[in-house]
Amino acid sequence: MRQRIGHQRHTTFPRQAVLSWRLPAVFPWTAAVMLLVGCGGDPDALEEMTPESTLESQGSAGQERLLEPFDPPPLDDLLGSATWIDRPVLDPLARLREEQAGEKVLATAAEALQMANDSAEANAKILSALGRLAEEGQADLSASVNRHIPADIGSTNPILISSTSEFDVLGLTGFGLFSFDHRMEPFALADAVVSWQTSADGLHDKIVLRDDLVWSDGEPITAHDVAFTFQVIMDPRVPVPAVRSGTDQLRWVEAYDDATLVFFHKEPFATNVWNINFPVLPKHVYETTWEDDPTLKDSSAHVRLEQQPVSGGPYEIVERTRGQQIVLKRRENWHTLNGEQVREKPFFEEIRFRIIEDPNTSLLALKAGEIDEMILVPEQWTTQTSGGDYYERNTKATALEWVSFHFGWNINTPYFSDRRVRRAMSYAFDHERMLEKLCYGLYEPATGSFHKTAWMATKKKLDPYRQDLDAAENLLDEAGWIDHDNDGIRDKEINGRFVPFEFSILTSNQPLRVAICTLLQESLDRIGVRVNVRPVEATVLQQFTLERKFEAYFGGWGTGTDPDTTENIWRTGAGRNFVGYSNPEVDRLYEEGRRELDRAKRAEKYARIQEILYDDQPYTWLYWRNSFYGFSKDLRGYVFSPRGPYNYSPGFSSLWKPADQ
Amino acid sequence: MTSDEPSNESRPPCQQAARGFWSEAWRRFRSRKLSMAALGFVLFLVLVATFAPAIAGTKPVICRYKGTIYVPCLAYFDRTLEPVIFAKDKFRGTYPANLAEKDPESWAIWPLVFQDPYRSVRDNEWPGEPANPARDQGAPSSRNLFGTDQYGVDVFAKMVHGTTVALLVGFVSMGLAGTIGITIGATAGYCGGWVDMLASRLIEVVMCIPTLVLILALVAFVDKPSIWKTMAIIGLTGWTGIARLARAEFLRLRSSEFVMAARAAGAGPLRIMARHILPNALAPVLVPITFGIASAILIESSLSFLGFGPPPPSVSWGSLLNDARSNLQMWWLVVFPGVAIFLTVLSYNLVGEGLQEATDPRLREARK
Repeated sequence: MRQRIGHQRHTTFPRQAVLSWRLPAVFPWTAAVMLLVGCGGDPDALEEMTPESTLESQGSAGQERLLEPFDPPPLDDLLGSATWIDRPVLDPLARLREEQAGEKVLATAAEALQMANDSAEANAKILSALGRLAEEGQADLSASVNRHIPADIGSTNPILISSTSEFDVLGLTGFGLFSFDHRMEPFALADAVVSWQTSADGLHDKIVLRDDLVWSDGEPITAHDVAFTFQVIMDPRVPVPAVRSGTDQLRWVEAYDDATLVFFHKEPFATNVWNINFPVLPKHVYETTWEDDPTLKDSSAHVRLEQQPVSGGPYEIVERTRGQQIVLKRRENWHTLNGEQVREKPFFEEIRFRIIEDPNTSLLALKAGEIDEMILVPEQWTTQTSGGDYYERNTKATALEWVSFHFGWNINTPYFSDRRVRRAMSYAFDHERMLEKLCYGLYEPATGSFHKTAWMATKKKLDPYRQDLDAAENLLDEAGWIDHDNDGIRDKEINGRFVPFEFSILTSNQPLRVAICTLLQESLDRIGVRVNVRPVEATVLQQFTLERKFEAYFGGWGTGTDPDTTENIWRTGAGRNFVGYSNPEVDRLYEEGRRELDRAKRAEKYARIQEILYDDQPYTWLYWRNSFYGFSKDLRGYVFSPRGPYNYSPGFSSLWKPADQ
Repeated sequence: MTSDEPSNESRPPCQQAARGFWSEAWRRFRSRKLSMAALGFVLFLVLVATFAPAIAGTKPVICRYKGTIYVPCLAYFDRTLEPVIFAKDKFRGTYPANLAEKDPESWAIWPLVFQDPYRSVRDNEWPGEPANPARDQGAPSSRNLFGTDQYGVDVFAKMVHGTTVALLVGFVSMGLAGTIGITIGATAGYCGGWVDMLASRLIEVVMCIPTLVLILALVAFVDKPSIWKTMAIIGLTGWTGIARLARAEFLRLRSSEFVMAARAAGAGPLRIMARHILPNALAPVLVPITFGIASAILIESSLSFLGFGPPPPSVSWGSLLNDARSNLQMWWLVVFPGVAIFLTVLSYNLVGEGLQEATDPRLREARK
C-alpha cells in the first residue's frame, strides 16, 4: 500500500479524529505510530509498515476467539457501584473559534494572498490570516472543493480502513463518538454525544448518545450500532486490518438502551481513552448480511454496500470512479432533522477527491486549478512553487509535523551490538550537510521519538548529534574496530575471524532517501567503514524489517496520539522493535506509564525513556519532517497540528471558501 | 565458394597485392566519412573512460607522500587500490589540505577538473574554492562545467565517470549476448534436425517476451544489484537476433565445398564450426552486435531512468536523467546526459551501418 502520509482530514466527524491518520495500518489511536519508510522526500512514496497487529490479527483469524463471553451487570448496579467523573464533550469547531478569538491576527487575508511564502515570517502571516475560521455568513455554503489523494481507497467500509486515503475519505462519511484536538487531548464530540463519564476506578466509560442522529438512509443511529460494531470488529473471521488494534483492549461494549452505552475495560490504563474510539457500522444494514459473508466484501449485498455505503457522518459518497475520483455530498439529514437545524452545517456542499499518484502531475493539476490542495514534497516547496505561475492561483503553508526519520541499527548484528559503535555512527554522519543541502534547510534535527514541544518529551536539553569524526574514530577504536589487516577497512576479531566493518543499509527507492544513505556511505567511508546502499521497493523494505533481515535501514515514524504508542517500537521483543532493542528499565517505564493516570507523572516516565534511548542510540535520529501543503487561494481555515492540517479535530472540517468569490 | 568467402580466385586478378576480406572491408568502411567520425567518437569515449579519474576526480593522479610515489586515483576503478597509508594518516578522503599539512615535501598531479562524481565537493576542500551549489542553483559555470545536480554533485564528473558504465554496458552485455547467440545459433545451424528445432523454438520463446519486461522481472530477483548484474541481464536477454543470424549463416555454410573438404580431411564438428565456418559467418553477425551495443546502452539508460539501475553511488547517464525528471527546471540535467546518450547510440548505429555496408557485397552491389 502506497500512501501519502498525512493527509487526513478530519472532519467534524468524530471518529476520525481519532485516528491518527497517518497510519494506515495502525489505527491511530492505538498504534498511532507509523513507520514511514522513507525520508521526507516525497510523501507519496512513504510507505507504511504493516504493524504487527495486522499480522497478528490475520494470523489468528479463525483460530482463536478474540472476545471472551461477558455478562454485563445491570445498568443500575453499575451506576450505583461507582463514582463517575465527567469527561469533556466538545464541539471542536467552537473550541477552535474560541482559541482563535484570543490570537492576534498578523495580516489580513488580502495581504496574505499577495505574499510569497519565502520566510518563516511570511509563513506565520499566511497561516494566521488564512487559517481563520469562517465568521457568520462569511463562508460560501454551496462551495465545492477538490481534494487530492495519492491512491484510491480499497473499501468504503469504515472498519476495513487502513490506508491514509481511506482515512481521508471515510473520515468524512463515517460516524464516531470521540476525537482529539491538536494537543492530542481526547474528547467526545458534541455532535454525537450528550455526556461522557469515566468511573473512578478507570474500568468503565459511559456515553449517552444524542437522539437526533440518523444514518443516510434515515434510520436512527443508536448505542446498539456501536455495540454491534464492536462485536463485528472482534470477530476473528472478519479481516479487520487496522481498527482492531486498540479495540481489542476492551473487555466489552454494552448498549443498555438506544442512548446509553458502556465500555468495559480490562485494566485501568491511561490509554483506555484511545481504545473506545472506533468507527461505527449501521446495525440494521449489516446485521442480516455479515454472518453470511464475514469478509464484508464478497457477497452481492456487500458489493452493493461497497458501491452505495450507508453513511453516518456529515457527508455521503454519491459517485465513485475507481482510480479517478470519489465524490462526496453533504448530507442534509445530518445537520437538519425534521426541518430543524440540529448541527452546524458543514462548509462544503460537495467534496471531490481526485486520485493522482504522481506528485509532478498533481502539482500541475494544482497550478491549473483542478485540485484545491495537495501535499508538496520539499523539492516542490523549494524550487517549483515560488514562481508567478504557482502564486497566480495558489498559496502554500508549512508547519512542524511530528514525523521523524532515522537510521535504525540492527543490534543483533556484530556491528551494532555495542553502544559505542552506534554512537560512533551518529558522530560520523554529516548531519549538517543533510539538513542544509539534502533537506534544503527545511527541517529541524531530531534527538528522539518525542518532539521537544510534546508534553511527554524530556525537559533536559538533548543536543542533536553533529559530525565529529575524531569522536567517531575514538569510539570505534575503543570498541575494537581497528584496521588490523591494513586494507583500509576497520575490522574486529569475532569468534576467531576478522570481520570487516562493511554493512548494507536498506532504504526505499526514493531519491532523497537514497541521497541521505549515500551521504552516510560517504561519511563512514572517511573513517574506514564501508556501506552498501540498497534501495529497494517499499514493500520489500517492509518485509525485511519485519523479518529483522537487515543490518541497518532508513525509515521514519509518524506520531501517535499517545506516547504509549511507541511501546511496540522499544519494548523488548515488541512487534515493531525492528532493531532488537532491549532494556529492562525501558520495559518497566512503559508498563508504569500505561498504569499512571496522572499526566505529569506519566510525562516523567516517557521523558526518562527518551533520555535512555538518546544515550543508547539504537537509532541515529535525523530530522523532523515538516508538513508542506499547497492550497488554492480560495481556501481558508487550515490550521496545522503536529499531525498535519487534517489528522485531528476539527481538521478538514474547519476549511471553507469565502462567499464573495 | 560463397560470395563472402575471402578469396582471390573468385575476383578478377588485380594489380595490387591481394587483399584479405577484412582489409577490404576496412578500406570500404574508411571511405564512409560518417561512419569514421562515429568510430572516432567511440574511440574518444574509450579514452575518456580509461582516463576518467585523471579528467575529473578529487584524488591525485600521482603524488609523492613521505618519500613514496602513489597513484590514489586508481581508487575510482577499484576501492581496494587506494593506498592504505592515506587511511592510516586520517586523510578521510580529503587530499589537497592533508597532503600539504602532513608532509610539506609532498607533491601531487591533480585531475584536470577537481570534482567528484560520487559526492559534492566541500567548502574549501580545494583551497580557496567554495562548496558546490545545491538545489537548483547549480547551473553550468566555469567550476561546474555541466552544472551540479540537486545535491551538489558535479554533473561533468558524473558524466565522465559514467562513460565507463555506458561503454562497459555495451561491450560486456553484447559480448555475452554474442557468445550465447553464436553458440546456440551455430549449434542449431550446424547440427540441424531436432537440435535446430529445439533451439529455434527456444529463440522464438525468448523473443516473444518483451525485453524490458523480462529485464524488470529479472532485476527483481537479483539480490544485490550491481552494474555487472545489469549487464549480465541485458546480455542474457539480447542474444536472440544474433542467434538467428548465426544459425542462418551456419545452415548455409555447412554444405559448402570448403566445409565438405574439411570434413573429408577428418576435422571434427567443433573444429569445423570454430575454425572454418565461424570466420566466414562472422561479418553478418557482427552487424547486429554493433546495433545491439547501441540498444544495450539505451536499455541501461532506461533502467536507470526507471530507478532499476546500478545502486548508488554508481553513476550512469540514465540515472542523471532520472534526477532531471523531478527537477525539470534544471535543464542541464536533461541536456548533457541526453546529448551524450544520443551521440553514443547514434555512433554505434553509424558504425554498425558502415560495417554492414562494408561487409555485405549484396548491399554494395545494390548501390552500384
